[in-house]
Amino acid sequence: MGAIREAFDFSDFPLVERIGFGIFCLFLLAFPWLGMDSFGMAVMIQFLLFSLFGMGWNTIGGYGGQVELGKAQYVGIGAYTVAVLMVRWDIPYWFSMPLGVLIALGYSFLIGYPLFRLKGHYFAIATIATSLVLQDIFINWNFVGAAKGIELPIKGNTFLYMQFTNDTYYYYFILAYFLAGVLYMNWFRKSKLGYQLRMIKIDEEAAESLGIDARWCKIKAYAIASAFVAVGGSFIAVYNLYIDPESVMHLELSIMIALMAMLGGAASLWGPIIGAAILVPLDRYLGSWLGGHKELMGVDFMIYAAIIMFIAAFEPRGIWGIVERYRGRRT
Amino acid sequence: MVLADAFIQGILMGFLFALISLGLTIIFGVMDIVNFAHGEFLMLGMYTAYCLSISLGVDPLVTLPLCGAVGALLGLVSYYGLVRYLLRGPMVAQLLGTFGLMLFLRYLAVFLWGIDYRMIKKGLLVGKSLTIGPFHLDMTKVVCALLSLVAFTVVSWIIFKTRVGKALRATSINREAASYMGIKTERMNALAWAMGGITVGIAGGLLANFYYIYPMVGLLFVMIAFATVALGGFGSIKGAFFAGILIGILETVFPIIGHLLKTSIIGPQYKMTIVYLAYFLVVVFRPRGLFGWEQ
Amino acid sequence: MKKGLFLSLLVLAVAMGLLMGPFTGGVPAKAKEIKIGVIYPLSGAFAAAGRDLRNGAELALDVLNNRYPELGISIAKWEGIPSLKGAKIKLIFADHRGEPGRGADLAKRLIMDEKVVGLMGCYHSSVTKTVSAVAERYGVPMINGSSTSPVLTKRGFKWFWRTTPHDETFTKDLFEFLKGLTEGKVRGVKAVPKEEIKRIAYACENTEWGSSVAKVIEQMAKEYGFDVVKGILYSAKSPDLTTESQALVAAKPDCMLFTSYISDAILFVRTLKSMKASPKVVWGQDAGFEIPDFRATLGKDVHGILTRTVFIPKVVKVKKAAGKINALFKKRYGTDLTGASGRAFVALQTWAHVLNAAGSTDPKAIQKVAKELFIPAEELIMPWGGVKFDKTGQNVLGTGLIGQYQAKGGKVELEIVYPFDLATADMVYPFTTWK
Repeated sequence: MGAIREAFDFSDFPLVERIGFGIFCLFLLAFPWLGMDSFGMAVMIQFLLFSLFGMGWNTIGGYGGQVELGKAQYVGIGAYTVAVLMVRWDIPYWFSMPLGVLIALGYSFLIGYPLFRLKGHYFAIATIATSLVLQDIFINWNFVGAAKGIELPIKGNTFLYMQFTNDTYYYYFILAYFLAGVLYMNWFRKSKLGYQLRMIKIDEEAAESLGIDARWCKIKAYAIASAFVAVGGSFIAVYNLYIDPESVMHLELSIMIALMAMLGGAASLWGPIIGAAILVPLDRYLGSWLGGHKELMGVDFMIYAAIIMFIAAFEPRGIWGIVERYRGRRT
Repeated sequence: MVLADAFIQGILMGFLFALISLGLTIIFGVMDIVNFAHGEFLMLGMYTAYCLSISLGVDPLVTLPLCGAVGALLGLVSYYGLVRYLLRGPMVAQLLGTFGLMLFLRYLAVFLWGIDYRMIKKGLLVGKSLTIGPFHLDMTKVVCALLSLVAFTVVSWIIFKTRVGKALRATSINREAASYMGIKTERMNALAWAMGGITVGIAGGLLANFYYIYPMVGLLFVMIAFATVALGGFGSIKGAFFAGILIGILETVFPIIGHLLKTSIIGPQYKMTIVYLAYFLVVVFRPRGLFGWEQ
Repeated sequence: MKKGLFLSLLVLAVAMGLLMGPFTGGVPAKAKEIKIGVIYPLSGAFAAAGRDLRNGAELALDVLNNRYPELGISIAKWEGIPSLKGAKIKLIFADHRGEPGRGADLAKRLIMDEKVVGLMGCYHSSVTKTVSAVAERYGVPMINGSSTSPVLTKRGFKWFWRTTPHDETFTKDLFEFLKGLTEGKVRGVKAVPKEEIKRIAYACENTEWGSSVAKVIEQMAKEYGFDVVKGILYSAKSPDLTTESQALVAAKPDCMLFTSYISDAILFVRTLKSMKASPKVVWGQDAGFEIPDFRATLGKDVHGILTRTVFIPKVVKVKKAAGKINALFKKRYGTDLTGASGRAFVALQTWAHVLNAAGSTDPKAIQKVAKELFIPAEELIMPWGGVKFDKTGQNVLGTGLIGQYQAKGGKVELEIVYPFDLATADMVYPFTTWK
């Protein structure tokens, strides 16, 4: 199908980038055999997960130009669907995950419709509000375990429920999602919706006058972002084997997702990956190193925040924006 | 009776919310920027009161002017150090920027004071209560509410009755026209940030009297502030006042309604949820709020 | 030139953090060292508790690895693990910051990189859940000293043991106490008619811990014939508890029960005091109500408040070991032992006994021994019957205490009021401090 071919077609990227990414993929594929310790493996898994989140966010936040800070609620929907279905009715992952994605899509259309009457800061704040509302509901809703969360029953090694005793399996699992995500984003940015979004971002009025329904496009992008994130959420459920509203739906998560994408460079394919590549290891290693040094607590976030402010003031297109500016090109 | 009690508590809190939101709405009115770091300014105001009360042993109320000063300083530094540059960029940049500021200040607090919750233990008013008829009110809250009212009135007076205030308002209504009239808009921007800082710093100093103080407290109040400003109308001072009171009442009365209706689905666990929902509903269905689009 | 720059930028960005991995990997244990991983909340909102826990564990470690014959308990004489040729235990601390995911990651690291023999922790029941799931997956023994959610030992885990009694036990203590109040068993109080204390209202903080307790309270209230007129789950992070307090007061309860951490506990007392609330019984489920800061901040306002606790210095009257060890703790760290530090001490002590009985660090040997382990009451600083695990891994000999704050001549002391035969003072009833 044309779409599949499109997804694999990276030809409009300069050769350098293609080679670079190719090498990176080889590195990722070979990673578990490189003799890394378990913490390194866990960090890589987080990196891939957050890249996935970031790429999803990118559809609406980057290409769509609407910064949104409420992605965590969809992580929650993805995670909880898998968890609740498994705990209550023993439903395998491969049924519950798509269901979770569907629910995320449905919910995103539901609140997207009123949400996209807004723009700019109002919109951003509203997304925070909706995420907090959903989190509050989950904290008090007994069906999903309320504040106690849900513990997934341990089933040993099984592909049906996607649980493994060896982290390597989880690694390839998330890697598969990651690569699928990259391919999807590659297709997306060249698709009609992708171009429409870019046009809307540059000049919404002009786009409207050309017959583009700006609001619908944004809602669609928002829904896609939600689906991406829900998939990631479903992974978290089977990886951690315990979820509660505090850990999968909290505001900090939304912030981190947006941050990574913006830091790396929103509206570019590599941006979220770069952002995650910098922030995730930084967070985990710095966090575990600083944890022993109580006096330095908080310094890690101060560093990210300073970087963000700097980028906001001088190059809102993030690191990738800096790279491109240096090369005098745009993708 | 219980309802009346809730109402009164709500109004008291409402005055404080109004004061907190005042700064946000001023900044927005003058330069169309939403200061995500507003809650953190508040938080730092609280810490100022705390530190001063601990190190100098003074009553928290005495520290108010200093809290205001710290707030003003924060506002000015933020403006000249960051916001000025953000204005040149697209909206995304502005959002990102104040957002980064929020994170920076929050974790600066974590670094300086750790993440432990702190409380002011000694003070003229701490722990005392005032009894009016059948109502028992927390003395600190009453005094803070009154002081908020005073602060609000003073600021309103400055804005509506002084030359500087008029210049500020002119800038917020029409920037270009104001600059043609000889008003230095750059200075107005800085002034807006300074005023925003002072009010929220003082609010922080007041809050410190009866809330506990920790680095993340900014988030909660900033959401309340957003809801208040949205409800009142972005940029409207009168709006901030009435909306603040409304939100205060909403927060305290809503759970009581649940109690009266004998249902536990509506209860204190949703008291913030109702605020977020209020923001959402207002902003979507009546974006100008109660008094918006006018100054 | 440009190509090279780009390539190196990209690869560098990723490699940067990742290649730090091997350099932060574990160090192999010295021959005579047994590593135990300890995962506590050393930073974050519960850093104070984390410090307390760490102090308790480190004191036990010191007592075990060195000679303190005057303390009178076995591990004080061992100087390491006797059956393992005096090998000393080494504790490797990790900070979970209250996040279950982070706790799980740290557990994996401790198990696979540091190659610990076993785990201890984690205080937060939610973190204990994920950490113990990791331990269960990898077949590594874990001893839990302070998490009280009943669910933890109901999961059918084979590698998890808990020394502390759990919330069902503790809450049962409360209802037994209330029952005793109606029967005149409480020291210093004549039998109180049931109708006088029948109405119960509770406020529990809304995470794993609090909501579990809420369920148990509801269940036991039914069993013991009390009416729950109001049950509130609130967010411990909320800076204002006026609405919650109002809801409590509006329900006109005779007994107010709380499950709170330190800040919310303080805030509740302050707010309720300003509302002049007047329930007849006020009870807190340990945690916030037990931490020294509670008493220090509120002073006389806590007079008459009951708290579930596991350890009070007054226990010394019943447990000799407790007195000497508490004195040592106080000398070193400046405060008395609390339920948290005390139980951390016992957890490590249990590890020592288990290792000694097993005579090896082999997980299977440890597992076998843990099932049959018995530590007699005299060894423990806790007023328990001892340590003996049932099939689910729960210590069945643990008991709780109920203490009451009493202000006497300028100082506020915590007296024991339950179990009835251990009472150290007359109970103050009814509660009138806020009127």
